[in-house]
Amino acid sequence: MSKVHRRGAAKPEMNLTPMIDVTFQLIIFFLLVSNIAQDQLVEMRVPKLDNPRTIEIGEIPKLIISIIPEKATREPGADPLLVPPGAKAIKVGSTDFELGDYDGITEALIDAKEKNPDIEIVLRADSGAYFDVVAPVMQAVTAAKISKLNLTAFLPGEAPD
Amino acid sequence: MERVRDSSTDVAAAMAENLGDQGETVHHEKRHKRDMRPASMTLNLTSMIDVVFQLLIYFILTIAFVMGEGIITANLPTGSGVAAESDPLAQKIEIVLSSAGTQGIGYRIRLEGMAEAPTNFTSLAEMLTRFRHDPATNPGGIYDPKETPVIIRPEGDVRWQHVVNAFNAAVTAKFQNVAFASKQE
Repeated sequence: MSKVHRRGAAKPEMNLTPMIDVTFQLIIFFLLVSNIAQDQLVEMRVPKLDNPRTIEIGEIPKLIISIIPEKATREPGADPLLVPPGAKAIKVGSTDFELGDYDGITEALIDAKEKNPDIEIVLRADSGAYFDVVAPVMQAVTAAKISKLNLTAFLPGEAPD
Repeated sequence: MERVRDSSTDVAAAMAENLGDQGETVHHEKRHKRDMRPASMTLNLTSMIDVVFQLLIYFILTIAFVMGEGIITANLPTGSGVAAESDPLAQKIEIVLSSAGTQGIGYRIRLEGMAEAPTNFTSLAEMLTRFRHDPATNPGGIYDPKETPVIIRPEGDVRWQHVVNAFNAAVTAKFQNVAFASKQE
């Protein structure tokens, strides 16, 4: 048997190294970003405003307070405000507080302010929540002597229909 | 896989020839060694790529960017938490919100001490703009936008969206001292 026959047909091979490089880069990116995003964010639908004056959240030293709604998902076609108006818990940064533990929230905010005196609060509450649910949290912020409070709402043109 | 099959075929052929003539064995082995190319190691990457793609798809699907959310900056009064309630004679604008409509998802706006009541938040913003004193554009306005406290007083069962909308209307009218009243006693 000749050498040519014994070697058989040429087998084309693809160099997969660059593809694997790129894929790993993507995985690492998504791993890191998903951790940051999910750590402090709670699923809810923030208010949709008439003629909103909202601005994008810049690189400010911020602490996110989320009032976790009883039910964040909406029935399709129903009014977005037609949800249970209460809250399950309150999340300050990555820590969950029970409803009513406003002294605990104030303490946590005082700690955060000691670490960073320029800290700003970003308050996220569901558009369908009662003011009664949000007001004590705002008072807890005031009690911690933090004057910068940012209310979250949809940016102009970004609100879903 | 292919290489394994090739070599096993070769070995079988060699064994068959060996059965016929034992003397040829050495010759065959020599030829084999001479013809063999240096062994090239290849790593089978298929399974790894499978896993990596699974991970990639998982992260792409589960990632939760908060798209479209922004903030309205508010300055809370530090201290008591109740803005401008101590001096009843001081000029202030008080926006009272109450719930209305089916299952309380609607709203009603009233400006304390004023007969005219805006029907929606756009007209509330227009009214507040009309009240705001501006030497250039509105010299007839009576309220100083820097000093006059605008107090939003929602009832407890008003939905948060309406409260933020009222706040947004005051910010639209360029009032700078906007605050929320404490819970009505």
